[in-house]
Amino acid sequence: MPATISKESSPSIESIIQQHRGSSGALLNVLEHVQEADPKHYLSEASMRAIAQRMDVPLSQIYSMATFYSFFNLKPQGKHSIVVCRGTACHTRGSLALLNEALSRMGIREFKEEEENSATSPDGFASIRTVACFGQCALAPVVMIDGVVMSRMTIGKLVHVLEKIKKGGAV
Amino acid sequence: MERKLVSITVDGKTVEVDPEINLIEACAVAGAKIPSLCYMKDVSANASCGVCVVEVEGAKALVRSCVQKPVEGMKIRTASPRVMNARRTAVELLLANHPADCLSCIRAGTCELKVIAETLGVRASRYPKLKKSPPPDTSTEGLVRDDSKCILCGRCVAVCAETQGVNAIAFAGRGARTRVTSFMDKGLANSPCIQCGQCSVVCPTAAITEKDQSSEVMAVLADPRLTVIIQTAPAIRASLGEALGMPAGSLVTGKMVAALRRLGFAKIFDTQFAADLTIMEEGTEFIQRIQKGGTLPMITSCSPGWINFIETFYPELLSHLSSCKSPQQMFGAVAKTFYAQKAGIDPASLRVVSIMPCTAKKGEASRPEMDSAFRWWTERAEKEGAKTGAEHYQDVDWALTTRELARMIRQSAIDMASLPEEKFDSSLGESTGAATIFGNTGGVMEAALRTVYELLEGKPLPQTDFFPVRGLQGIKTAEVPVAGMNVKVAVAHGLKNARALLDDIAAGKSDYHFIEVMACPGGCIGGGGQPVLPDMDKKLARNKSLYLEDLRMPERKSHQNTEVNTLYKDFLGHPAGHLAHELLHTQYRARVV
Repeated sequence: MPATISKESSPSIESIIQQHRGSSGALLNVLEHVQEADPKHYLSEASMRAIAQRMDVPLSQIYSMATFYSFFNLKPQGKHSIVVCRGTACHTRGSLALLNEALSRMGIREFKEEEENSATSPDGFASIRTVACFGQCALAPVVMIDGVVMSRMTIGKLVHVLEKIKKGGAV
Repeated sequence: MERKLVSITVDGKTVEVDPEINLIEACAVAGAKIPSLCYMKDVSANASCGVCVVEVEGAKALVRSCVQKPVEGMKIRTASPRVMNARRTAVELLLANHPADCLSCIRAGTCELKVIAETLGVRASRYPKLKKSPPPDTSTEGLVRDDSKCILCGRCVAVCAETQGVNAIAFAGRGARTRVTSFMDKGLANSPCIQCGQCSVVCPTAAITEKDQSSEVMAVLADPRLTVIIQTAPAIRASLGEALGMPAGSLVTGKMVAALRRLGFAKIFDTQFAADLTIMEEGTEFIQRIQKGGTLPMITSCSPGWINFIETFYPELLSHLSSCKSPQQMFGAVAKTFYAQKAGIDPASLRVVSIMPCTAKKGEASRPEMDSAFRWWTERAEKEGAKTGAEHYQDVDWALTTRELARMIRQSAIDMASLPEEKFDSSLGESTGAATIFGNTGGVMEAALRTVYELLEGKPLPQTDFFPVRGLQGIKTAEVPVAGMNVKVAVAHGLKNARALLDDIAAGKSDYHFIEVMACPGGCIGGGGQPVLPDMDKKLARNKSLYLEDLRMPERKSHQNTEVNTLYKDFLGHPAGHLAHELLHTQYRARVV
């Protein structure tokens, strides 16, 4: 192992690694749970370094896995999550307009879909990401907000939900 | 255990092959050479390029021959129209994202992609360019990584992980965004990369290359205010010819000296002189460690990739390293003190260029502590109350690879093959056979044993050759009776092999006295700065050449080098003495990445 520095050896990372020790595919599970345990719902450089050191896995390979799955976030995420499906069916039924509406309501100016599939509002209120498909094409367009999948979405419905969470309500 | 062979038919020819090899190797048995851009014999196949496809009778789809094993009765066609079409499409897809700057590319003469595109008759690519790349990574001294030229074959990732156990780079991202990169895309300098350059040797294109400094050296050669001298590493004489189109293993010592003189270097010196000097210092250090109870096993320190590796991965074992500088750095320190003084040259106007088989040597030359000559002169000036005034300089100013020297020779239109054989210049140019074999894995160990034996026994060796430490197997061991003790030695090349020995030391299970480690597979003859894409046969040819040169030398033991002995008598004092320590030894430090 390289002599990695790990100033933050958060006890939760340690216990998560202990929990998965010896199981096959342990690294994937560890990354998943470490991201969940993080208040900003992402894999920080410090936590990836801590995982590398304790699991004796090269940093480059952790990065390889973390960048392969779109589930993993390498940047701090907002309090709320908005996922817009950009698959073919959703696209033909107006998902681009939904995406743009959500972006402008959250104050996100830059979003280059072809380069990165997520962005977080400057105030840290919400993160918006796109996915290729939810597997619900018959109900297109599909949007997921804070884990709740909403089908046959319209701009009106979207604005309603976004205003609700802005006022502190649940989806 | 002998495996039962299977019978396969390749393009109508039936052959018996081992069922555990892949179809690329199996078809080769039948004389059919299958092209590939990603396959490499010594590491696991990535099956990424799609060029090695063949048609197997009865199989629905074409088969990638690098990952398919032969089965009894298999009928294979290696060049059917269907195969050729698929290969062309695969190459067209790669060309779509590849910059078309072949005319000015550093790998113009050695690009595998270009050769395959030409061979298959690809004349245009039907597909649009989709790839976006960051600017080239020039963060390290030795290597440049240009993502725009990467075809994602995975060879660099495989050698870095499997041959070297370094894992500086890996694939990141997915689909069209897939790339080879270091952790967090921070660049090689902020990764565990040890600069060995094995990636640059296996890369089929110019996605990873040496940082070319040949034009800088050409420029100083034209500066009349400077004296530019050169040293050449042992392994260059067995590979420079190959880099210039001669057969692998061509020994070109005398012609190389002649070519360097034509290029305009003021003096042509030999790193082998410094290799003999290294043996005097390292041999003495080893004897002292044995007699005074120093840290054992002692490990050699000539290979800068290896030094970077132990500083990064095993910093707790640094006390095992010999404190000797590498021959390149010993040469630089001696050239800018002893030689400058003797020749009456102001060291500030002296430039030392090295030709090395190695990309890590560039980083070694620019390490901040490698300025012993500057410190020595400054100290003298201060003692005499004189003003120093000189600008700071390193002991070695440029370390060029074999590939860069070949480029300089070609540019200058020097036909090396037709030149007469010339001799190295004196005072730092004499060497023995022991120094020549430094370029091979096991060579430093053998050279050290030759000298240590005679220094301790006080009588000539019964046999000069130590065959157990020769050859290309990963780890070699031997026991040598010297002065009433059994000296146990081990030799490793390729850092995955070195790890095995280091883990034993860390666990307190190693009973060796002396270990040689070279970072690259085969040692310097297989170095990261050597002619690209060497197969095992080429490495063996280079290896044999150095042993042949050793046999031809008038003296074969480092302590018989008269110029080295003169250096001690007139300047350094004795091996491991005060001045020797100041100029020829160094210190190591843990590297945190």
